[in-house]
Amino acid sequence: MNVTGFLDGMGYNGWILPALLVLPLLGALLMFAQGMLQRQDAESAMRASRSLAMGIFMAEAVLSLGLWWSVDVGSVEWQALVDVEWIPQWGARFIVGIDGVALMLILLTTLLMPLAVLGGWTSIRVKTHSYYALLLILTTGMLGVFMALDLVLFYVMWEVMLVPMYLIIGIWGGQRRLYASLKFFLYTMVGSLLMLVAVVWVGIQAGKGGPPVFAYDAILEMSRNAPFVGSFWLFAAFAIAFAVKVPMFPFHTWLPDAHVEAPTAGSVILAAIMLKMGTFGFIRFAVPLFPEVAMHPTVRMVMLVLAVIGIVYGALVALVQPDFKKLVAYSSVSHLGFVMLGIFAMTTEAMQGALMVTISHGISTGALFLLIGMIYERRHTRLIEDFGGIAKVMPIFATCLTIVALSSIGVPGTNGFVGEFLVLVGSFPTQPWYTLIAATSVIFAAAYLLWAVQRIIYNPLVKPENMALKGNDLNWREIGLLTPLIIAILWLGVYPKPVLQKTEAAAERLVHSVETARMSTTRMNARSGEGR
Amino acid sequence: MQVEHVSTGHPLADSVARFAWLIPALPLLGFALNGMLSLKAAGHPGPADPSAGGHGHDGTTGGTGDTGGHDAHDDHAHAAGRHPSAGLVSIIGPVVLALSFGVAVAVFLAMRSVGDAMHAPYILTLFEWMPTGKLSIDVAFQIDQLSMVMMLIITGIGFLIHVFSVGYMQDDPGYPRYFAYLNLFVFFMLLLVMGSSYPLMFVGWEGVGLCSYLLIGFWFSDKANADAGKKAFIVNRIGDFGFLVAMFLMFANFGSLSFAGVNVAAAEVAFGGALITAICLFLFLGATGKSAQIPLFIWLPDAMAGPTPVSALIHAATMVTAGVYLIARSAVLFSMAPVAGLTVAVIGALTAVLAATIGLKQWDIKKVLAYSTVSQLGYMFVGVGVGAYTAGVFHLMTHAFFKALLFLGSGSVIYAMHRAYHATHNHADAQDMRNMGGLKKYMPVTFMLMWAATLAIAGIPPFSGFFSKDEILASVFVRAGHSTLADASLLGIPGNVILMGVYVLGLAAALMTAVYMTRMMLYTFHGPNRTGEKEQGHLKEAPWVMTGPLVILAILSVVGGFVNLPAIIGGTMSEGLHHWLEPVVGEGTLRVLGGEEAHLSHSTEYALIGTAVAIAVLGIIIAMTRLKPEALVPAKDSPAEKGIEKTLLNKWYVDELYEKTVVDPTLSVSRTVLWKGMDTGIIDGLLVNGSAILMRAVGWAGSQLQSGRVGTYAWVLLLGVLSVLSAFSFR
Amino acid sequence: MTFDLTIPAQLSAALLPDLLLMGGAMILMILAALRPESDRHQRTVGFASLALVAATIASVVWMAMRGDRAEMGGQIAVDGFRWMVDIVVLLGAAGTIALSIEHNVRDGITAAESHVLVLFAASGMMVLAAGRDLMVIFLGIEIMSIAVYVLAGLNRRSARSAEASLKYFLLGAFATGFLLYGIALVYGATGSTQLNVIGDAVYRLGLIDDPMLLIGVGLLLVGLGFKVAAAPFHMWAPDVYDGAPTPITAFMAATVKAAAFATFMRIWYESFYFAWAGWAKPVFWLAILTMVVGNVVALAQKNIKRMLAYSSIVHSGYLLVAVLAASAMASMAFTFYVLAYTLATFGAFAVVATMQPAGQTDARISDYEGLWHVRPWLATAMAVYLLALLGFPVFGGVGFFAKWYLVQAALSSRAPLAFITVVLVVTSVISAGYYLQVVRVMFMKPRPDDAVEPAPVGVLTRVVLAVTVVLILGLGLFPSRLVEITSTHGFRAYPYSPSLGVSLPMRER
Repeated sequence: MNVTGFLDGMGYNGWILPALLVLPLLGALLMFAQGMLQRQDAESAMRASRSLAMGIFMAEAVLSLGLWWSVDVGSVEWQALVDVEWIPQWGARFIVGIDGVALMLILLTTLLMPLAVLGGWTSIRVKTHSYYALLLILTTGMLGVFMALDLVLFYVMWEVMLVPMYLIIGIWGGQRRLYASLKFFLYTMVGSLLMLVAVVWVGIQAGKGGPPVFAYDAILEMSRNAPFVGSFWLFAAFAIAFAVKVPMFPFHTWLPDAHVEAPTAGSVILAAIMLKMGTFGFIRFAVPLFPEVAMHPTVRMVMLVLAVIGIVYGALVALVQPDFKKLVAYSSVSHLGFVMLGIFAMTTEAMQGALMVTISHGISTGALFLLIGMIYERRHTRLIEDFGGIAKVMPIFATCLTIVALSSIGVPGTNGFVGEFLVLVGSFPTQPWYTLIAATSVIFAAAYLLWAVQRIIYNPLVKPENMALKGNDLNWREIGLLTPLIIAILWLGVYPKPVLQKTEAAAERLVHSVETARMSTTRMNARSGEGR
Repeated sequence: MQVEHVSTGHPLADSVARFAWLIPALPLLGFALNGMLSLKAAGHPGPADPSAGGHGHDGTTGGTGDTGGHDAHDDHAHAAGRHPSAGLVSIIGPVVLALSFGVAVAVFLAMRSVGDAMHAPYILTLFEWMPTGKLSIDVAFQIDQLSMVMMLIITGIGFLIHVFSVGYMQDDPGYPRYFAYLNLFVFFMLLLVMGSSYPLMFVGWEGVGLCSYLLIGFWFSDKANADAGKKAFIVNRIGDFGFLVAMFLMFANFGSLSFAGVNVAAAEVAFGGALITAICLFLFLGATGKSAQIPLFIWLPDAMAGPTPVSALIHAATMVTAGVYLIARSAVLFSMAPVAGLTVAVIGALTAVLAATIGLKQWDIKKVLAYSTVSQLGYMFVGVGVGAYTAGVFHLMTHAFFKALLFLGSGSVIYAMHRAYHATHNHADAQDMRNMGGLKKYMPVTFMLMWAATLAIAGIPPFSGFFSKDEILASVFVRAGHSTLADASLLGIPGNVILMGVYVLGLAAALMTAVYMTRMMLYTFHGPNRTGEKEQGHLKEAPWVMTGPLVILAILSVVGGFVNLPAIIGGTMSEGLHHWLEPVVGEGTLRVLGGEEAHLSHSTEYALIGTAVAIAVLGIIIAMTRLKPEALVPAKDSPAEKGIEKTLLNKWYVDELYEKTVVDPTLSVSRTVLWKGMDTGIIDGLLVNGSAILMRAVGWAGSQLQSGRVGTYAWVLLLGVLSVLSAFSFR
Repeated sequence: MTFDLTIPAQLSAALLPDLLLMGGAMILMILAALRPESDRHQRTVGFASLALVAATIASVVWMAMRGDRAEMGGQIAVDGFRWMVDIVVLLGAAGTIALSIEHNVRDGITAAESHVLVLFAASGMMVLAAGRDLMVIFLGIEIMSIAVYVLAGLNRRSARSAEASLKYFLLGAFATGFLLYGIALVYGATGSTQLNVIGDAVYRLGLIDDPMLLIGVGLLLVGLGFKVAAAPFHMWAPDVYDGAPTPITAFMAATVKAAAFATFMRIWYESFYFAWAGWAKPVFWLAILTMVVGNVVALAQKNIKRMLAYSSIVHSGYLLVAVLAASAMASMAFTFYVLAYTLATFGAFAVVATMQPAGQTDARISDYEGLWHVRPWLATAMAVYLLALLGFPVFGGVGFFAKWYLVQAALSSRAPLAFITVVLVVTSVISAGYYLQVVRVMFMKPRPDDAVEPAPVGVLTRVVLAVTVVLILGLGLFPSRLVEITSTHGFRAYPYSPSLGVSLPMRER
């Protein structure tokens, strides 16, 4: 079948990105409307709202699928580009466009959201309309971050995600939700407000005395010609904003609290998508806009050291967590460390690996949080010690948990391995020692996850609460929402080629441009005799 | 599956070999089917407690574990009877193996017919795996003489053990799950040996580790079993770290990860240089993990927690020998790094001796076999370490035969013992040799077959073990005389000295092997029966579905040695395996030998054979004379060991050592320093919450100033005025 | 048209809106006094005042549309900046009157004069917006202040209200003294009270180091700093805001501040432009001190009115950055900012007013617990206002672009004010602490069982809420129109430097 032709026929690339942004907003309005019109009890409100939300998210997912065919990842042009006037006096435009990297992240988002909704299908019972409306707004924000090609638009989208997640954690969260949500908000805001200053400053410089310019391409072009004034501080501002989101050590402590307190869908979205905005930010903005800073030996060393610390530290701390959700949270710190290592190693293989980890961490950790949610709904505890021998009474759950855990450990044949292997094998030529330290996490990862899995699904089945789980194994909804994830885990593990090909060109371009920039600066420094 | 031929024009291109992908594919299919059956059964309430059958058959690991409440379990299990879909499973499981064995044989014959025309290995490419940047890894199978041997061993012995399992596991509620895991294991093992590149081999490498994890913890309801599984996986992962680093080094320096590419590139690098040595040592680290060598051997004895057929297949015949295969596969690399070779040989020899000493004092019949496995693996490493790759592989093969036989034999002994104990609701340990004795009367077939295996492992001619062990020792001797290894030196000690030491250690290990194996036979089958009066009535031979495979294995253990008779004896039909493997490891062997084939005067060769045999016989005699089965008393009323005996029984306290020096510190540091200290303490407590608290405090103070009294305000205002004015005046 | 302000007729034409408002206010004063105090009466007067304000707005818009200008010189300015500030002021006045019409009922205030006083204050502010002569400006300040002193004490039943009014009056008088003295010194130094003449003198005579001028500037800074409640001259604000009737608090927090800042901007821009090096440092530290003090102390507040009082202090700090930037763009950012700020502040105080139990001035944050569950829309609106004050995009609507504009102005001004901009954003992180405190209380806490049912929201209040929310959110998505308007309604580029080709030492970038 010739999908591409069909899509071109309806001018798909011309409207798809704005449509993806607008649809959830309309959905949110619809949701509010339904919530106002409907005067029934909470139960029926829940049913109505969740099915509406599911419909919208499914529509979004289906709509976005076309991008897989319509996007020509090979070309140097932005794909599905839409460029509209927004605030002309400030040179702020509404520009959206994607490349292979953004493509994969967008698909990850759109395909994961329905599963996230299914994950909270029965556990979200109060104020469901507002809940789903917030989820929808959140989706717009996340997609916007991935497709924005104007710094003002990007910043706005970046901030937009904050409030819905803040409310989702704070309203539908667990015991310490107030603390966790505020922590999440402030942590992120510190970083992003510094980024605000940096963005404005960059825009003004790009304006060259005239009205500021915020279009990504123009700014990139300018950075190619000559580094920005005070580019070190600019990079620092961007880097901190992104490092908080990633999160890199030592900016990570919001994550465990947010994860633990957030409702299942919240944790899934946080881990699977929102953390990726940090790494995406590095790939799209921090590194290419200020290559000479990012690649400056000292800066690079600092980033790499933090990344490696994150990898090992996260793994070690995960080892001793009593709460399974917290354990997974720290494992995220470890995994995202791999992404950062891959980015700053600056080789095509490592960059590809970083993107692969980005995607597969989204899948595996998302699945893990879904599984935790499922068992939590049954047992109302997340403490590992409260479980044991579950495999006897919930074999299907046990099987799924094992598979997902293995992919998170990075066992070959699962998606986890491909990413980590590429990062490590790609980083080794440029950064052997950091890679060596990072590679030790293959041991720790196995240690913390297998230990946890053992204490949850293996070991003697003694606790009556756990015995009571008999016959309460995963139901069809839960199996149904896990199946695609498990298929993805195995598919990406066995045949990652299609995905790798989608991101190859973008990764190569980035590495090449950064390398050339570094060469030129080093040459300049050599000529001028002293560092910048 | 769409298959493209990379090496068209290869003599095997149009032969049956192009269906070689079926060999691993069939077990995978079996896994899929059995897995579904097991989950389907799980879906609707099937036989309840998976652990029941487990205890029923194997008891707990080690002599000590709790035996309380077994009968409760067992009654339950037996009441539950066989698994609903057991019949179907017991067809699928073995049959897929039989089929893939058939294909393997067909490919083998094809290769035989091609004969010497086949120099380059036949690469069967399925699809691209991770193509990115300069890296390109295909999912491709390498079919050459070495992988062929392994394929035959794996599928052949695998099939036998599947059949045995049909009997052994019949009453287990986890029956389909068991066969699913077993099939999956065979798939990964075949991937390991057939993969045409290190990464693909690594997939199998990790995969078999995973399956061993699952199968060791098969009766997961017992914490000890689950722990053992976890331990095995994590210890293996330490080795895998080495494997990974080796791959990084290869990619960074050779730009390729396929065997072919690496072998070509390796020829360029400096002989014995740091790079090649590092690569080899890291590879060896991987091998020590998988093949339970010092320092990572600790997991294998615990692995006996798994069902006995698993111990036979994974922890004796196939998986644990992967390390040996890895080194043989990397013969070219290792032959370039004499220091690495010496290291391998020394570690192997030390492991052989250490494990043998521990084996001398174990009471659990499976533990004895476990340590003997470790020890024999040490032998194999000595072989491949000194560059006698053929010898190593040869011992690998024979060992696969007789050790599988020994394990399965012990399996049927345990089976019988357990039946007996179960019938009388006795809670004694069914694996402790002190509870056995005089079983030859009750299970003659097993008794005969196991003696054959014992003689084989002890190295009595003409049993298979003799030839392989002798060849290893002989080749060590040869290389001590003249080889690149002899010229190299390790830690300042000249190579030839080291190799002589290795030779002596080898003899010592051989001696002890003979001793503890004889000891095991004596305590198990000879002397009076200590099982108990009531139980004796229930002791009987296992069914034929179990003894059948034993017979076949016994035949192999006896005649297995003839595939590679030493030239001095064999005459025309000698050194078959040697010639067979020539294309793969010949180059490496030759390089180690410094260019010319090894030559021993017949007298020396006879002398060597003589010593080997003498040592073996001596060992048996020692055991026969010194050990008194009559003096033994059942486990429950036998006194605790003391002194050196205690130390041996406790395996030199290596586990405790690791526990104290590695595990505990890691955990406590992570908990107290990193988590409580750094995370919640400094970052969160001090910086994050601290700053918030500080702000609130300052704010509170500020609002205290807001007293509401106008006077105060006026003064503050005045203060402000003054400061502003001063700011204007003195700037 | 372009007025020649030396011709009386044209002068009065240029003052049309101001005269309209003042005259109308006087007439209304008489009407108000005609009848005995009653609720109905204060209502009618209230609506009449609203109509008057509407008419004034119309006249302002009309003149702005005509693009009226006046030559340099003259006591009053006829420029876009003035019209813009007028609009903000009048909107504030309208909002105040609308809110107090309903709030008076609940507080039992029947004095119809209250609305007229608002009108007087507003006319004073318009004078401030227009004044280009220190004497005129002083006049405006007094007209405004005296009316506001009275308004603060409007609720005669409440002791706190009376106390507030008195405090405000005393301290205000104190500050006015400094202001007047400052004017005198500046006059002494430059020989004129007319802004452009002063600026001219400062530039020609190079008075940057003249102590007399600088002391004068310092005293003016104190006086205006008091009016805009910049630390350390802010002490009165929390008490007065807390004690005054809530609509009046809104008036003071938003409109009074806007007017005072308008004249502040104008004086500093037109007169002391070339003394930048002289006053930059004090203003710089004043701004930082204000931002820090306001934000930090706000964290500790339990009473929402006091919290908003400190937040208004904080915003003074932000606006001082615009003063510091002293550029045409800064003036545009200023008008944009005060408009956004006015919308948000009025919205917030409208909510506070409706949430206040009748006759009680004490408004605790804890009263808002679980508000979302009983009054979802009210809570949502409040959240919008607070996020707008926080300067958060989309949900905070135009508030974000206000902050953006300010940052842009600061960074693109002379020697980019990077440091103070960073201080600005960092302190606004602190502000998230207390703004979100209210959000979390409203949304994340359950409604206490003993909590009283909030009173129904009055119609006028609903209107105020609706208008503010819609404007905040709408402008938050599509600000370009407003940006365009403000960009044509700032100060024109500095009158001297281009024509005389002056290069300012601190202009170098």
